[in-house]
Amino acid sequence: MSIERFNDNIRNAFGSLEQRINGAAGGALHALRRSALEAFTTQGVPTIRHEEWKYTNVLPLLASDLQQSPDSDLAAHDLAALGHMPDVDAWRLVVVNGMVRTDVSTLPEGDAAVTVQMITDDLLASHPRVAAAFGHITPASAHPFVAVNAALTQQGILVHVHGRLARPLHILCVGDARASDILHTPRVLILADTHAEATIIESHHTVGTFQALDVTVVEVLAEAGSHVRYFKLLHDANNASHIGSTAAVVARDARAVCATVVTGGRFVRNDLHVRLVEPGASGYLYGVSVLDGTSFADNHTVVDHVAPHCHSEELYKGVYDDKSVGVFNGKIFVREDAQKTTAYQSNHALLLSESAQINAKPQLEIWADDVKCSHGATTGQLNEDALFYLRARGLPEGDARKLLTHAFAAEVMDHLDDDAIRTHMVALIDEALA
Amino acid sequence: MQPILTIDNLRAGIEGREILKGVSLTVRPGEVHAIMGPNGSGKSTLASVLAGREDYEVLGGSVTFMQKDLLEMAPEERAGEGLFLAFQYPVEIPGVSTANFLKTSVNAVRKYRGQEPLEAAAFLALMREKMKLVEMDQSFLSRSLNEGFSGGEKKRNEVFQMAMLEPTLSVLDETDSGLDIDALRIVASGVNALRSPSNATVVITHYQRLLDYIVPDVVHVLVNGRIAMSGGKELALELEAKGYDWVKNTVPVEA
Repeated sequence: MSIERFNDNIRNAFGSLEQRINGAAGGALHALRRSALEAFTTQGVPTIRHEEWKYTNVLPLLASDLQQSPDSDLAAHDLAALGHMPDVDAWRLVVVNGMVRTDVSTLPEGDAAVTVQMITDDLLASHPRVAAAFGHITPASAHPFVAVNAALTQQGILVHVHGRLARPLHILCVGDARASDILHTPRVLILADTHAEATIIESHHTVGTFQALDVTVVEVLAEAGSHVRYFKLLHDANNASHIGSTAAVVARDARAVCATVVTGGRFVRNDLHVRLVEPGASGYLYGVSVLDGTSFADNHTVVDHVAPHCHSEELYKGVYDDKSVGVFNGKIFVREDAQKTTAYQSNHALLLSESAQINAKPQLEIWADDVKCSHGATTGQLNEDALFYLRARGLPEGDARKLLTHAFAAEVMDHLDDDAIRTHMVALIDEALA
Repeated sequence: MQPILTIDNLRAGIEGREILKGVSLTVRPGEVHAIMGPNGSGKSTLASVLAGREDYEVLGGSVTFMQKDLLEMAPEERAGEGLFLAFQYPVEIPGVSTANFLKTSVNAVRKYRGQEPLEAAAFLALMREKMKLVEMDQSFLSRSLNEGFSGGEKKRNEVFQMAMLEPTLSVLDETDSGLDIDALRIVASGVNALRSPSNATVVITHYQRLLDYIVPDVVHVLVNGRIAMSGGKELALELEAKGYDWVKNTVPVEA
């Protein structure tokens, strides 16, 4: 059975990792891995009987013999061609099959605003904030694939932002699937100090034609007054599947702006959790999915208002053609102490074909009594009145449909304040709609 | 001179209900026609059928526009041929800026007419010139089309588009509804500035008020899907004074 083989593969991969790291197997880091493996064994592979995976069947992914493959020899010039952003001048951190490739990464040198380093036993011992955050913002108990990531990650990456980052940092998670079906588990901790400001871009790329599953975990700690922009771009190949989990803890008066664009790949599951833990914190969650063929994308979001006087806004849109399927699950929790919360959520889907599907579930749980919360969800086709209006102004029907579809999806990006990244994301959307 | 528009015994309806029951009308170059009538008389149906809205069904008769069969054409072809409908309820389109929309529209119509697309600079100059006609502010151009516009702003935007597209025939569908007197004056003076000996305007309205500013050559009164009465501009004043019941009572209505 595919589940049993997957379980075996995870255990075997853990064993190989243990051998690779040899002497470090007794350290704090490996203790985290070991407990994560237990957490995975306890939880097991989720099936559609689990509420959080009701519309998201991972079993077809496990039909492949997914193996970790840390020794990739992908050539530098092949890697340089990936994830090119003509409008965005970013530093590049390239991670291939879960291992950092310093030879092709262009990291800031001598920039006091940021340090990028591997998370080691020494670092955990000397840096209490890292120790408190790593594996704790998103614990292995969060869901089974988070546990897989935590058990199998050899190199966790710390991005520590001390000040105002001059350029965006682009983290490319690359899967080398040229020789066999692969599983890779990139892992990043972003620590934004008080009043720090950073733009992080995460993108996923698969090279080769074998099946690739990447299970990525990103933890973000946004300290007081900081401003973190986090953009996630998924426009991968048809043999690429992605299960990603990003969680941000947002402190006093800090702001986290997250935008997720899915325009390709076989299977995508994104979990995005934003926890507003001190007064004045705000979270902005934006998402656009443009799918066709038999692609699948599931966006699971949680906005957790823990403290009073916090603000959140969420807008997700999807355009689904052919037999593509989308899932949106948006939870908002307003805890008992979180008075004066303002929380807004909306999600809208455009179905361009009869066989396309969207499963949308907004879920608000409010325990405080002095709050302003709203949510709205729509599913439908293009507005016939708008279509007629454009045709009456001379646009041929096909052009009018394209313009309206573009406007529907691209409008989400109007909420972003970074022109270069907005331009890039709109270009990705347009490419997917063309 | 050939008429711009000839409507001959047009019958049309929606969802199996006949609303226009034989409308005939001829509009010549340089003319302004007003079509007045009570609610439900078929005024907006006539506008929709002329512009080519697909949910309306043509049941009989013909419409000839510039010697061509209008009813055979798709809405975008009608626009290309020079027909313009100013909507009673202009549609809000989030995510499409007014400037981008206008450029797409103008160039689509130019393409239909076999003309080269306008270059950016020429287009900008044209927009600046035409905006003045309806006293529109530059800031409208970057805003999403009609989104969050007031009623008056939407109607001014319609006349602005009309100015950009330079139609042969403009049909204004209740352009006066919901406008205060200042907005009405701006809209009307825009429409008047666009009048020429070679184009024509059909003004559809419920109230005589607009016709103080856009003075018609011919006034038609539409009642129960037919033109019950036609006359000069003084007919509008008489209607205002006596009410639509006067027409209904004057004209025999079929059982």
